[in-house]
Amino acid sequence: MFKHHSIALAVYTNSLLLRAHLTLYMQYTLGRLFCGLIITLCSLSAAAQKKFTLSGTIRDAATGETLIGASVIMQSASGRVGTATNAYGFYSLTGTEGAYNVTISYISYQPIVKTITLSQNTVLNIELKAGSELQEVVVRAGDRKNENVRSPQMGVEQIDMKLLDNIPVLFGEKDVLKTIQLLPGVKSGGEGNTGFFVRGGASDQNLILLDEATVYNSSHLLGFFSTFNADAIKNADLYKGGMPAQYGGRLSSVLDVKMDDGNNKNFAMQGGLGLIASRLKVEGPLIKDKSSFMISARRTYIDFLLKAAPDTAIRGNTLNFYDLNAKVNYKFNDKNTVYLSGYFGQDNIGIKDLFSNNWGNTTGTLRWNHVFNSRLFSNTSLIYNKYSYNIKLLDDVNNFEVKSLIRDFNLKQDFQYFSNKHTLRFGLQGTHHRIAPSDISISGTSSFNNLSIENRYGLETSAYFSDEYLVNEHLTLLYGLRASWFALLGPGTFSTYNTAGDVTSATTYGGGRIAKNYFNLEPRFSASYLFNGENSVKASYNRNTQNIHILSNTGSSSPTDQYVMSSNNIRPEIADQVALGYFKNIKDNTFEFSGEVYYKWMQNQIEYKNAARLIANANVESQLLFGTGRAYGLELYAKKRVGKLNGWISYTLSRTERKFDELNNGNYFPARQDRTHDLALVGIYKLSKRWTLSGNYIYSTGNAVTYPAGKYQIGGTTTYFYTERNANRLPYTSRLDLSATLEGKETGKRFHSSWSFGLYNALNRKNPYSVDFRDVPSDPTRTEAVQTSLFGIIPSVTWNFKF
Amino acid sequence: MKKLIYLLCLTLAVSGLLTSCQKVIDIDVNTSPSQLVIEGNITNIRETQFIKISRSVAYAATNVYPAVSGATVQVTDNVGNTYRFNETATGSGLYSFGPLRGVSGRTYTMRVTVDGQTYTATSVMPTPVRTDSLTLTKITFGSKSRTIVSVNFTDPRNVANQYRFIQYINGRQVNRIYVIDDRLTDGNRIKQDLYFDDDDFETDKLVSGDVARVEIQCIDKPVFTYFFTFRQQSRGGPGGGTTPGNPPSNIDNGALGYFNAHTFQTIDIKIP
Repeated sequence: MFKHHSIALAVYTNSLLLRAHLTLYMQYTLGRLFCGLIITLCSLSAAAQKKFTLSGTIRDAATGETLIGASVIMQSASGRVGTATNAYGFYSLTGTEGAYNVTISYISYQPIVKTITLSQNTVLNIELKAGSELQEVVVRAGDRKNENVRSPQMGVEQIDMKLLDNIPVLFGEKDVLKTIQLLPGVKSGGEGNTGFFVRGGASDQNLILLDEATVYNSSHLLGFFSTFNADAIKNADLYKGGMPAQYGGRLSSVLDVKMDDGNNKNFAMQGGLGLIASRLKVEGPLIKDKSSFMISARRTYIDFLLKAAPDTAIRGNTLNFYDLNAKVNYKFNDKNTVYLSGYFGQDNIGIKDLFSNNWGNTTGTLRWNHVFNSRLFSNTSLIYNKYSYNIKLLDDVNNFEVKSLIRDFNLKQDFQYFSNKHTLRFGLQGTHHRIAPSDISISGTSSFNNLSIENRYGLETSAYFSDEYLVNEHLTLLYGLRASWFALLGPGTFSTYNTAGDVTSATTYGGGRIAKNYFNLEPRFSASYLFNGENSVKASYNRNTQNIHILSNTGSSSPTDQYVMSSNNIRPEIADQVALGYFKNIKDNTFEFSGEVYYKWMQNQIEYKNAARLIANANVESQLLFGTGRAYGLELYAKKRVGKLNGWISYTLSRTERKFDELNNGNYFPARQDRTHDLALVGIYKLSKRWTLSGNYIYSTGNAVTYPAGKYQIGGTTTYFYTERNANRLPYTSRLDLSATLEGKETGKRFHSSWSFGLYNALNRKNPYSVDFRDVPSDPTRTEAVQTSLFGIIPSVTWNFKF
Repeated sequence: MKKLIYLLCLTLAVSGLLTSCQKVIDIDVNTSPSQLVIEGNITNIRETQFIKISRSVAYAATNVYPAVSGATVQVTDNVGNTYRFNETATGSGLYSFGPLRGVSGRTYTMRVTVDGQTYTATSVMPTPVRTDSLTLTKITFGSKSRTIVSVNFTDPRNVANQYRFIQYINGRQVNRIYVIDDRLTDGNRIKQDLYFDDDDFETDKLVSGDVARVEIQCIDKPVFTYFFTFRQQSRGGPGGGTTPGNPPSNIDNGALGYFNAHTFQTIDIKIP
């Protein structure tokens, strides 16, 4: 039935897409420009004289996985040119006819140097071997060094997935979303929570992508775990500023997560048994060097424990989540590769005969990589993603079932063109959104009524262009422009409201008709000036806009978060950010330092009114308030990348404020996540060949909260009087986490295992989650503040294996 | 929905996932000037009606709220009646008139003058909806089972209704606000479970022999909004849930509190 449903939807969507496109002349013009550009670029390389291009793909020698961001340097007597591989491991370099030494290197891999003679366009595919500890010095000699200083890109962090093995986390469940919270400028959504805030933005202002598909709710079990099973992930990049033009749609950050492609050399398995969940990943070649697959699954087993409980009532309860990642690829030839990947995850919580609650994401991505020629690389993606939740109340009188979903179809075309001084990126994207806010259905008799809130449809299209331009050996520019057009589509009835929230007018639009549209231009600009090999100054400005908004005023994500699109009432959120940074490497890349300052202006920010009714409310847009925001800060980062002891220190000094006419007398007030100081220390120490010890320590100022300024009595009960919004602070948070990893003995066989032991909150500090006020139980004439803490010291143990 | 989150947390707690703990802490707070607080009620029962006027105190002060004496207090309705309330005893801050029976459909206006400043509020007495019974509901979380009281009535169709319940156990008021409306339940048979907060279970749990009393009020929309907002911020406060704020009072000029013209019914139930 679902299949049938989605086919019908697809047909419907196509007609919508078509109609909306036809109405927009601009889109048509852009399309023509694109065709022209591609034809020109295709012919350019043919016309180039005496210059030839070296291109290819860099892979891991053991697994055949493509390596993202590997460095390729071409050195001749007359000079050198270099580049990094793109998201599909592809690179392209151009040089005049002659002999070259080509150095290919990648962090924690052994570099390779090849001598080639460039007398025609050449394809050079390279496989790199993972480096052992002893060869770390060699890695350092690889020419990826100073990439952090050299690149004009600011505010970016590439998360080394290998690092995750050694960073201690809650319940020992390694998590990319918890690891990024240890970076400067990224604040945790709460204790043990995977929600995060970037440079003063809200948690819904992060674009979280899994193989290009938007993951709307990236958390499991009220946010204690993320939807990203570390086993299945190849790479994660976090952009917190200087957003490249190919990304758009969210104000604060982009977290671009890519799944493993699957080992195309050998059949391999890996997995683990942990405190909360167990994991298993299977991968291998389908056709050697042509096609491979990867399937990775994770499931919790708390409910197996529940089932073992002596109490029958507990046995009936459900509490679990699972994730399934799968990917398959097929390489037709050196020029054409197709990838199909999908993610399916779900949470199930229920109490027998009382209620059940399920929520989860589904994503699917079909991609086609095409190399037009050695300089022009293309990727076409067709993406589907859906987040839905379902709540059932099973009580005989109060039964109901609520269903809600948000679903996207996304078509994306990206091009990359490489020339010596320029790397051009340009592309088009069209996303069709459907939001089904709430459908309430009952069975038999119930105190509830059937209710269906009108679906909302939207079309988000964008076109972008960017150029990374190596002006000279000192100056590199990265500039671009993203044009985004959002249309709220019928069918539907769209109301306007007065300040009291009452409907003042309502207009009905037919299917595919545009109820409201917004066009935004988003300039993106970054520059780096390199003083010498090890010092640089960078500056950036970028504008981002956002048309999908979550109505939430808590830090942690809730399964029942409500999504709304820009509309006649809600204008697109807009953020402008400027940043300035100083980057320095010392001791031949052993230490990396950076300092960045930023200032961000935010428009059309959303809060909801007191007493807002968000769930199952057709007039939910009447419950909102609109205002502005500003955020600024200083981020300091020092990292030791190699050696027996490595790790980093990150410190953020920041402020983030909001301003709404209706709140706090129209004055600026601190956002909840406004924490003045944030400090993280991460240390990993390689004790011996088999033991690795690691620890992290975090300190942060407490959240901005509203404490009472007075009290009074209503109905005989103590009641609190509030004045300024968020003018108080929760106590500070400080936590030390430790872990130790024991690698299994090297037996010479393929089987390898390791044990990880963790101690979360090793000092057993009671960190504040919330503060409530009450009359002192033993003395009702006084009032006291009661702090709730979530986690004390929590030990964990995980066993991992690989063969 | 709040109930669901509550159930969710309980499930997690039962499974030992949430190992939360609480402690009393010292905090720094701002001190606001004293505010005027008015609590006015008019019921549809022929009885003495009361309006209480007091003042707020600083957070750190003891819970003794100064009564406001010497205020001029009057209530009028939309058919021309005026009722002058007099202070029951000098210094009590409690003003009364009666016997007086509020009439459904009438709009009542309260006017309170204190130190030359007048505070006004209006409230419409709703049509009464009769609660026919209280029943007991047993809910089980893990090995613990609790008895709670449920209120049973039929909501009139095609009218917006709001209800407030006040629960007493052996004469002691349960420190929790119960308000519902019929936004999603219009016209149906309603069984409203009166949950306790987790904390209250220890002190407020119902045991055999206890007598539970529920006062049922039909209230107008502004009064509902007042108590609904009140309830939203009463739990999971700073850091946890919604940012707390003062509930939107239907009284003007910045007075705290409410003026509530409501219907009144009480039912008792004995726990077997």
